[in-house]
Amino acid sequence: MKITAIGVTLVLAAGGLAAQQDVRARLEGRVPAEVSAAVVAAATQAGAQGLPVDPLVQKALEGAAKGVPAERVIAAVQELAARLATAAGALHDGGVATPSSMAIEAGAFALTAGMSPQQVRDLAAVSVPPYDPATSLRVAGTLAAIGVPGKQVVDVVSTTIQAGLSQAEVAALPGSIQTRMARGATPAQAAAGQTRATATRPAPAGPPTERPVRPADRPARRP
Amino acid sequence: MSHELHPLVKLLLDGELRLSDLPPELKPEGERALRLLESIDHAPVALSPALDQRVMMAVRARATSRWRWLVQPRELRIHVRPWTLVPALAAAAALVFVVLRPAAPSTESVATVAAPESVTVRLVLHAPGAERVAVAGSFNQWNAAATPLLRSGTTEVWTATLTLPVGQHQYAFVVDGIRWMPDPSAPGVDDGFGRRNSVLAL
Repeated sequence: MKITAIGVTLVLAAGGLAAQQDVRARLEGRVPAEVSAAVVAAATQAGAQGLPVDPLVQKALEGAAKGVPAERVIAAVQELAARLATAAGALHDGGVATPSSMAIEAGAFALTAGMSPQQVRDLAAVSVPPYDPATSLRVAGTLAAIGVPGKQVVDVVSTTIQAGLSQAEVAALPGSIQTRMARGATPAQAAAGQTRATATRPAPAGPPTERPVRPADRPARRP
Repeated sequence: MSHELHPLVKLLLDGELRLSDLPPELKPEGERALRLLESIDHAPVALSPALDQRVMMAVRARATSRWRWLVQPRELRIHVRPWTLVPALAAAAALVFVVLRPAAPSTESVATVAAPESVTVRLVLHAPGAERVAVAGSFNQWNAAATPLLRSGTTEVWTATLTLPVGQHQYAFVVDGIRWMPDPSAPGVDDGFGRRNSVLAL
């Protein structure tokens, strides 16, 4: 048993070391040494928590490319790491036991765009298979970025899913709402109009066959 | 430097409105935009008459394929008992050893693997007076020199066509190598540094 534990520890340490080397290599020559050290530390911690590391590296590269002072880049990377952790927690609370990297990144994007952790949780809860929480959250973040208030973002995405429309139609929501905005509606009016139109639309006859269940009626997906 | 078109003018450019549908105060802007568009898209595109048929054949083949279930995305849940991890960890250790081992020199060219799902997008910036314009973003490691935009003829319009993996991307234009600006035609989010990034959700 002791040998197994030592083996596991060694393998995990080797994996962590390889990840650190990868992060360091990607930052080499692009960011100051202190930024690199801080990002490696943040990435190691994020990796240990099961969070994606790539967004942290990207944020550091972005800051350096934009000529942002090192201490501000480090602060932005640490803020992003915290946001990824918040997104992962909200997804977990929404019933996604092991959220994918893409879902966590999409959740962090939705938070950055102005959604609350509770709203991220609600969208995760409604995005049961065959719907992908990553797509729902990516769409939600985009809608928030174009000015749709968070509550209406949740309403329009949830209504679309609960009406049984396809995932492609969920992904097309920003385009539909922007078209309404181009005709003079405010983001809130456009989202409300889209929600009403979806709610009154007859349910499609074909797939998806597994109809989503409202969060309140649905048991937790945790094992 | 950049100019945000009125939403109704955008609809005009998309062919959803006619010039006569625009309110009088927008007509000059609409005419300017149409002239600009004409200067860009002067080469007619000829489509093969068999294109529709080929597209529909491909769509039908995809819809009726008995192997379609193999490529459809599904959620996969794996429940693991701790003791079953031992062989997996041993395999992982072997993999780490192989990966970290220095590679033998090779003269073979590297194969390019296409992204499983990608989308082609066209970025456009109206930047009067710019000498050069590039786009930097999460898709090119924020490299301000990696993806230059091309000037359309002698106009002030710069464009780039990119094939990007499905997902969410953030980006900004870099004008003359020093000035970062968001795409005026795309939604934006705070970049964490006091500026805005544009967002592409594909």
